Amino acid sequence: MLELLIVPWNLFPLAAAEEAAVVDNAFKLLMVLATPVFALVVVTVIYSMLRFRRRGEPTEDGPAIHGPRSVILAWLTVTTGLTILMIITPGITGLRELRAHASEAPDLLVQVQGGRWFWKVTYPEYGVSSTKELVLPVGKRARFEVSAMDVLHSFWIPAFRVKIDAVPGKITTTYATPDTLGSYDDDEHMRIQCAELCGLGHSVMRLSVRVVTEDEFKAWIAESTAK
Amino acid sequence: MAFLPLIKAVLFAAIGFAVGAGATTGLRNLLGMEPWSTEPVVTMGYVFALIGWLLGVGLWDAWAREWFGKQPKEPLHEGWARFLRFSTDHKVIGVQYLVTMVVIMLLAGALSLLMRVELAAPGQTIMGASDFNTTMSLHGIMMIAVAVATVMGGFANFFVPLMIGAEDVAFPRINAMSYWIVPPVAVLLLATPLMGGFDTGWTAYPPLSVLNASGQLLFLLAFLTFGVSSILGGLNFLATIIMLRAPGMSWGRLPIFVWSIFSAALISLTATQSVALGLLTVILDRVAGTSFYNAAEGGNALLYEHVFWFYSHPAVYIMILPAFGIALEMLTHFSRKPLFAYKWVVASLLTVVGLSYIVWAHHLFTSGMGDYLHLPFMVTTELISIPTGMVFLSGLGTIWQGRLWLKTPMLFALGFLMNFVIGGVTGIFLADVPTDINLQDTYFVVAHFHYTIMGGEIFAILGALYYWFPKMSGRSYNEALGVVHFWWLFLSYNVTFISMFWVGILGMPRRVADYPANMADANLFVTVASFVLGASFLVFAGNLLYSWIKGPVASANPWKARTLEWQTSSPPPLENFPSEPTVVGSPYGYGVAGSVHARLAPAGGSKEQDGQS
Repeated sequence: MLELLIVPWNLFPLAAAEEAAVVDNAFKLLMVLATPVFALVVVTVIYSMLRFRRRGEPTEDGPAIHGPRSVILAWLTVTTGLTILMIITPGITGLRELRAHASEAPDLLVQVQGGRWFWKVTYPEYGVSSTKELVLPVGKRARFEVSAMDVLHSFWIPAFRVKIDAVPGKITTTYATPDTLGSYDDDEHMRIQCAELCGLGHSVMRLSVRVVTEDEFKAWIAESTAK
Repeated sequence: MAFLPLIKAVLFAAIGFAVGAGATTGLRNLLGMEPWSTEPVVTMGYVFALIGWLLGVGLWDAWAREWFGKQPKEPLHEGWARFLRFSTDHKVIGVQYLVTMVVIMLLAGALSLLMRVELAAPGQTIMGASDFNTTMSLHGIMMIAVAVATVMGGFANFFVPLMIGAEDVAFPRINAMSYWIVPPVAVLLLATPLMGGFDTGWTAYPPLSVLNASGQLLFLLAFLTFGVSSILGGLNFLATIIMLRAPGMSWGRLPIFVWSIFSAALISLTATQSVALGLLTVILDRVAGTSFYNAAEGGNALLYEHVFWFYSHPAVYIMILPAFGIALEMLTHFSRKPLFAYKWVVASLLTVVGLSYIVWAHHLFTSGMGDYLHLPFMVTTELISIPTGMVFLSGLGTIWQGRLWLKTPMLFALGFLMNFVIGGVTGIFLADVPTDINLQDTYFVVAHFHYTIMGGEIFAILGALYYWFPKMSGRSYNEALGVVHFWWLFLSYNVTFISMFWVGILGMPRRVADYPANMADANLFVTVASFVLGASFLVFAGNLLYSWIKGPVASANPWKARTLEWQTSSPPPLENFPSEPTVVGSPYGYGVAGSVHARLAPAGGSKEQDGQS
């Protein structure tokens, strides 16, 4: 993991799902690729401003360099190479990682409905639903089937780095495998946050997320069923 | 009477509105419907009001009279009153656009400061969520208009004919019409709060945009009208550049700014029609009860996102391609060196035009469209790095070993390079599907597009305002204040918007009036920085306003630049040049012994001679 050595600081907030690691690593790799490009431009501009500055009205022209073919072709080769590299990794490799388990059956099914301005989560396998919180067992891969009751919304859990829009008349799906215990009370990133503008209550269209042990999850299900 | 055309225009618009609204209520009554229904009445009233406005402001006198066998009236060519009426002089139209757009930019900037006050702390500070949504949406669409029309309407109008050695644009009356369509757009947008505001942002995604307050309808009509203006503008510049180049102005001698306008005009003409269609279908869903986007009746909300971005992604190149042109133009003249890799840059501009049509769905990676579309759109999007990289090579190659004259326009051009590279590399994070899934709809996106459009295009525009100010006004701006404006803006701009990347990574969604407490410090920091940024525009406005009225008189060519607009007086006469120029060489022949761009034959008592300096 070369990129971890070069980008030692931790930019990122709490990451609480396996998918979050894929996304954060892709981000770090892009930082590694972007930094030299950024540095090249800024250093060249600042150097030129200091080195090639002329005070007062110009009295002479610079050399008539129209752009030697060798320089242009070398530049094209490097930029094309970098672009292909970025497409392959983290682009294609990241996509493959995120979809590595797409064909496997999930451990848990959660139906998520977005409406103005609340979230409703349903566990069809247990006949339980809630508009108060999303509870997930740690280490279990959950499939989210997302739908909208009225207008577009977007299902986003910042701590999982997972997002998919809720579209009226359509069911969209995404997956997450929580790997860290915790809840919204400990860290604000453990929330469903609506990420697609939906009107008046958009900003506060949130739902607490709580990741618990499997036993706690079963207990919560049992308690919710009893109600 | 200077204001007569405007008074006539308002009067005709009022009559038009009464006709449209009256006919609609009458027709509804005849059909046995409830006679009054706000949205259909307002829509039809507006359509007729727009026609009335155009006829009143001068379209009748200068143009429509001849359809009925009458002699059109000769427009006014002297005095400030010509700016307040239907003028067919491209220089007057350019100034009309520029003044309008700078005013809208300052207003929309003030709106962004209101948003920052609301966002300074969690919870409600100065306004509720509804007012915030309207403020945010208005800021968005007004700045989009500024980003599209300041260059394509303002600078392109004033300078494309001058730089190609033409007397005017190909269709001067269509040109005047495309400007006079814009004031009704501004009026509609500013009137949206009177009809409940609108809360969809400038993207207007249905179903929300079909269900919300009637302010949305005014927004949709405004945007659609503005689109018509863009389409006409695109058509006009293509025809002008293809048909009206002076003798000898071959495609290989065209200044890079003209090439950039040509590229952007291709997109304006073709892609804008797609968004017009999208807006029209939303209007029909609201007003005529169609169901393009109503899932319950077989409509599809996702369809709009595709149609919208099929225009709106190419549209960002309508904004940025001319900014490339402006920046490269200033870099070459102020470095006293030929433009590096000229032909490759031209090829790159045209390549971006081509790619711009096949990248739109990168806005839709989290929309729920088919997963199989992710890879192709990621690839096409990231390929844009290659032609854009060529523009950077050209910029850096041009300043290298140059004789850099660090006047205000040059500082802005160099600032453009440094800001836009940040906009460029952060774009990769959003084109890359794994990172975009998290970053989509967060402040990371807000920071990214402000780096491209504000740090990129607006910096180029500000540079161009200083660069061409002497040519347009005939006066010089204050150089010291220009330099102060640049450094003040450049530093406060970067502090403000770099922080927004950080806020976005922290998990702040965009377009929100409120956020969890963990983001409070970061947001307060951004708010304070944004006010320092906003204050820099007082220096800008004060400098240009004062200089326009009282600045020292400017010479014809204060920058000793080689392109044609500098080879005529400041400001240029009505017919631009004393006689038609003949182009004999490259506009960028710096350092080449004996190189001449154009010759102006002495005529009519003019002392203008060769175009070289």
